[in-house]
Amino acid sequence: MLATIPSKPQNKRLRWLLAAILLAGAVWSIMGLEVTLARLLNAPSDAWNILHRMIPPAFGEVHQRGVVEKVFESVYIAWIGTVIGAVVSLPLAFLAAMNVSPRWIRVPIRQIFNVVRAVPELIMAVIFIPITGLGPWAGGLAIGIHSVGTLGKWAYEAIEDSDDGPVEAVESCGGAWISEMRWGVLPQVMPTITSYWLFRFEINVRASAVLGMIGAGGVGSELVSQLQFRNFPEVGAVLIITIAMVLTVDTLSGMVRRRIISGSEPTKDRNQEAVIDLTGIRTR
Amino acid sequence: MTEISNSRPVRPRPKLRTFLVAAFLIVFTVFSARKVGFSFSTFWEMWSNPLWEKFWPVPWEWIFDRHNVVDPLLETFQIAIISTLIGCSLALPISFAISSLTTPNRPTYFVTKAVMNIVRAIPDLFWAKLLVTAIGIGAFAGSWALSIFSLAVMVKLFSETIDGADPRPLEAARAAGGRHAPSVSTGVFPTVFPAYVAYALYVFELNIRASIVLGLVGAGGIGRVVEAQRQYFRFDRVLGVLLIIFVIVLVIEQVSVALRKRLI
Repeated sequence: MLATIPSKPQNKRLRWLLAAILLAGAVWSIMGLEVTLARLLNAPSDAWNILHRMIPPAFGEVHQRGVVEKVFESVYIAWIGTVIGAVVSLPLAFLAAMNVSPRWIRVPIRQIFNVVRAVPELIMAVIFIPITGLGPWAGGLAIGIHSVGTLGKWAYEAIEDSDDGPVEAVESCGGAWISEMRWGVLPQVMPTITSYWLFRFEINVRASAVLGMIGAGGVGSELVSQLQFRNFPEVGAVLIITIAMVLTVDTLSGMVRRRIISGSEPTKDRNQEAVIDLTGIRTR
Repeated sequence: MTEISNSRPVRPRPKLRTFLVAAFLIVFTVFSARKVGFSFSTFWEMWSNPLWEKFWPVPWEWIFDRHNVVDPLLETFQIAIISTLIGCSLALPISFAISSLTTPNRPTYFVTKAVMNIVRAIPDLFWAKLLVTAIGIGAFAGSWALSIFSLAVMVKLFSETIDGADPRPLEAARAAGGRHAPSVSTGVFPTVFPAYVAYALYVFELNIRASIVLGLVGAGGIGRVVEAQRQYFRFDRVLGVLLIIFVIVLVIEQVSVALRKRLI
């Protein structure tokens, strides 16, 4: 019997190479960012200084400027964006799924999803603002189009994971393609896809808050104008209201999602499932 | 014996609650559409807007001039790299502190988790704008903002992975008399490390996307070119920069997905 501890298998050369690459990347990045020691040392105190001046938050003043309306506008923009994304992406997702759609139609639609997903919402809003004018509709449209890309991708992946049994059953009864989709696939994937829609809504609420910063409606514009005049107590109030909105929407939508998903198949480790669904990363 | 019926089974009637939920959703959608200013005619108005012509032709020689686009683009990468490195390395200890499996004690767990949730509830560009005001315009503020935000995202993803890790090696290490930190680093860390690297790549992808738009609020990177040209109404240049951004995001995503697939 061996009493020694087995030696660790390791690839030393690869490790050093990776460490060197990371270090080189860090050095190159820091060089480009014009970091001086003085700036680095002053930054935390500057940040703290601003945080300090936000207390106590001036809720009264921002309320008079109609911040509540702005916050709700963000939610409306996010909701409209999600509805546009859901309505457009659902039929396209059926055409993009490997198991139910022929190759010649699948490939171009997937490319559309990829292309749309690659343009950030803010950049899309930058294009739309000169066309639609400043206002919430530019934001709603930008979020809607971006959502088509992500929701479409998640939805066709859900359709590809579905069971063929019901589809074969409908086919053997003489059902057309559309009936196969409606009665064979849709009931299986609808809970998952609905929970994706809700999750996208949560993301869109954050996105629409940000869109206000470039004039596309919502609470972001309020933050920008208060920061411009350096009204820090007002900034504090806007921030707290934004946090409250985001957390409320996350919590409500999370509750509904959990009900939808656990209705179809109860899993113990739901957080993990969500992470897998969203990032495509499987850890075990 | 029960009688075998030949008729179709009765379809269950939808509950009243279903109707109420559907009605609420429809009303809410219509209401938000009106608030946002949605109408089908706007599509036609947008399509026939003469401003579209200002987006074309793209001035490629201006785009490929080094100072105009390439340098800000490199700055974007620098912001993304440094904030991914800072965010992910700080996230490592914090994630272990707020996982229910490996937390040292309850107060640390609750306080850190609450702080991280609040940090994550503030969108990344809000952080950027705040820090631009606090420590000055430029990529330095942008890197700070993204470091903070990617720290929060990484902690969320990774701590939930640690929650789901196999507890048995940790129990073994504790049963053998290990103190808290060594038990965690030998019992849990090796099992979750591949996930950590995969998340780091994912966070890098997020940071590239975020650092592209940071410039719109004055926090450096390629976004500041978009913002400046937008203010001069040079939409042709804006479109050119957007096409470059688009190609880069597409390539980064493909590479990141391929790498993550190989890792796990």
